[in-house]
Amino acid sequence: GRRPSMPIVERDIRSGIPECFSHLPMAKRIPTSQAHKDVHPAVLAVGQQMATFALNDSIARLKATLLAFRKVIESYETPKGNSLSRHFVPHVLNPQIEYLTECRPMCFAMGNAIRLIKGNINKFDIDTAEDEAKEGLLEWIDFLINERITLAEYAIARNAAQSINEGDTILTYGHHRLVEKTLLEAKHDGKAFDATVIDDPYGCGGLELAKTLRQAGIPVSYSPNLGGLRPKVAAASNVFLGGEAIFANGSLHAPSGTADVAMAAMNAGVKVIVLCETINFDRDRVSVDSLTYNEIDPERNTADSFRLLFDNTHDRYITGVITEFESGGGNSPAQAI
Amino acid sequence: MAPSTSSHAPSLDNLIKSFNSQSLEASIESLIFLLKRRQVKGDECAKATAHILRQVVAKAKWRDVDELLSRVQSVGSRLVRSAPLEPVIGNVVRRVLGLIRDEANEDRNADDFGSEAASDIQSLTSSTTPHPLRPGPSPIRPSPSALSSGLPVSKSMFNLLSVKAPSASPVTGASTPLSQAQPASVHALRSEVMDGIEEILDEINQADDQIAGFSEIQIHPGDYVLAYQPSRTVERFLVKAASKRRFTVIIASLESPSPGSSESPYAALRKKLNAAGVNTINLASNGLMAYIPRVNKVIFSAKAVYQNGGLLVDSGSCVAAQAAREYLKPVIALCPVYKFCPEDPSDEVSRGELGSPGSYVSYANGPAVDALDIENTVTDYIPPDLVDVYLTNLGPQTRHHLASILADHYKIEDIGLSLQLGEP
Repeated sequence: GRRPSMPIVERDIRSGIPECFSHLPMAKRIPTSQAHKDVHPAVLAVGQQMATFALNDSIARLKATLLAFRKVIESYETPKGNSLSRHFVPHVLNPQIEYLTECRPMCFAMGNAIRLIKGNINKFDIDTAEDEAKEGLLEWIDFLINERITLAEYAIARNAAQSINEGDTILTYGHHRLVEKTLLEAKHDGKAFDATVIDDPYGCGGLELAKTLRQAGIPVSYSPNLGGLRPKVAAASNVFLGGEAIFANGSLHAPSGTADVAMAAMNAGVKVIVLCETINFDRDRVSVDSLTYNEIDPERNTADSFRLLFDNTHDRYITGVITEFESGGGNSPAQAI
Repeated sequence: MAPSTSSHAPSLDNLIKSFNSQSLEASIESLIFLLKRRQVKGDECAKATAHILRQVVAKAKWRDVDELLSRVQSVGSRLVRSAPLEPVIGNVVRRVLGLIRDEANEDRNADDFGSEAASDIQSLTSSTTPHPLRPGPSPIRPSPSALSSGLPVSKSMFNLLSVKAPSASPVTGASTPLSQAQPASVHALRSEVMDGIEEILDEINQADDQIAGFSEIQIHPGDYVLAYQPSRTVERFLVKAASKRRFTVIIASLESPSPGSSESPYAALRKKLNAAGVNTINLASNGLMAYIPRVNKVIFSAKAVYQNGGLLVDSGSCVAAQAAREYLKPVIALCPVYKFCPEDPSDEVSRGELGSPGSYVSYANGPAVDALDIENTVTDYIPPDLVDVYLTNLGPQTRHHLASILADHYKIEDIGLSLQLGEP
């Protein structure tokens, strides 16, 4: 049941945040009992997974959201006297979105996808039969998942793997799915190269990546933290980074520490290549520092520690971006959306 | 290397106490033992070196200046070799060698020339040059430094050559003392050099407080100060500033707290600062670019400053300095004068020292331990262009004036100390 002390605890959580970072959002675990009654069970589950960071990566969150929305659409029945195109978004979809946002601020890919879905629903004629509309919507969502996630991942890994040369040393930071795919793809092509994995001891995905690469037969040098970053980066031939989003001004929104690595690489004259699906591109937002769009790590928001999840890499520290459509300079983003 | 095994937790204090009861060689051996095991490190190395060299001066057999110099050189290079990544050891050895040369010069000048003026100048410079108790930044540039960097150096080189030429054959051959005045002056020299070493020790001990004295100039009300892995020097600096100013300290560190321990990092420092009304934020983050827009200045302490202005620091400090450079925030390095090395960084230094990866990858994790090259770098080299202020116990400096500090504190003859390491 509901505990009366719950709201007080919530206020305490936010009150621990230092004043200068208090404008930033933070994921929050909401007991399922407190969720709005209109929230679909599938969405409820996704929300919980997001709040606990079981779903962390922007594309993983996007995919889970789209699959949950599929369930919402499948179970939707238009009430009498309404049409799907007028009723579904305000009365059914929006409460789901609100709930997800409350669990954890939406990532930019989710924002893009939701805008696309809403645009698609608005295109339906008011007289469209419910079955037809639902069918169309489900197809559209499948198309999104195939085209912008599955195929995108394949295409990016292919393109990026081709840019790896025999004898290269590829450095990466943390654990990004696209970087992993790319390196495995290049290895599969028979290229011999080394990998350097720089990890974030507070994120700790890099060790998994290092082990995966090692098992695939790639010689891996693993650094548990950013110590000695300059010499390590200077010894690399390319730096591959994954991102959560790219803003309209070309800056990269990525796990905290990415900007430090990119800057060290650029200063050492090493190419910095960002791998990013176009669904992550945000053409409406501009960010010039890391405190405009960011999130506070709820795990480390205590009296003894504070952590931001992301940082902002200026486009001058990015040599190029590889997307599923094309590869371009750091500051030629958004037209693909 | 037996002697220190009597105490289970060998510490510098115990070691120094044990000096009196041990033979000189045993003391040297036990210090080398601690240095090799990295049980004495950082600032402690400087103190330990000064202490042991005092023992050398006091206990070793030497009949003239050259013999004393070579005793100190040989012990010094043994110490330097046992801890190649602690450049302060070499610095202190050089300081002591310079001190001996100065004192010897003074005597020789008095003997050889009998000139009042010459000995006056010499006594003036020799008493001011290694003197640690100078209160502020003022004495760096005025005349004594001009004298010590210019005139006496050339004079001492001249003396070295002119004295060595006749003495070379007797010393190596029959080892007969060449001067009838030696026995008396040996005694005087011994006590003067020991006093000088005492002054160097005072300087080392007081450096942190003197640096802290400049804190209110550097830290302003309302500042957000990023303190990277605050050392004792930085702690003292911040606490002193907190007695005058209201500001916020953002503490960053590379070390992730080990899962078991519940004690928060830098708890004592934070308690002191909070008590003085200064807010602290403990960052649990390696990357610092995210926070730099909010930060006004970055402060950390150096393990060593090289003659090109580059710094040897705790690993990760370089990330802080680099991020600060991106946003044009001042980078202040706290570095007592005894950490200034009259040489360039070695390749080893710029690559960084590797530490144990055990705290990051557990030995239970077989596949990872077997197959991965794990590099846990524990020191960073910061190139000079990332540092704005070198805050020494003599006051703030820029890298353009580091040469004069080095000239004030070291003799040209001793700069190549590290090159002599190959010799037995």
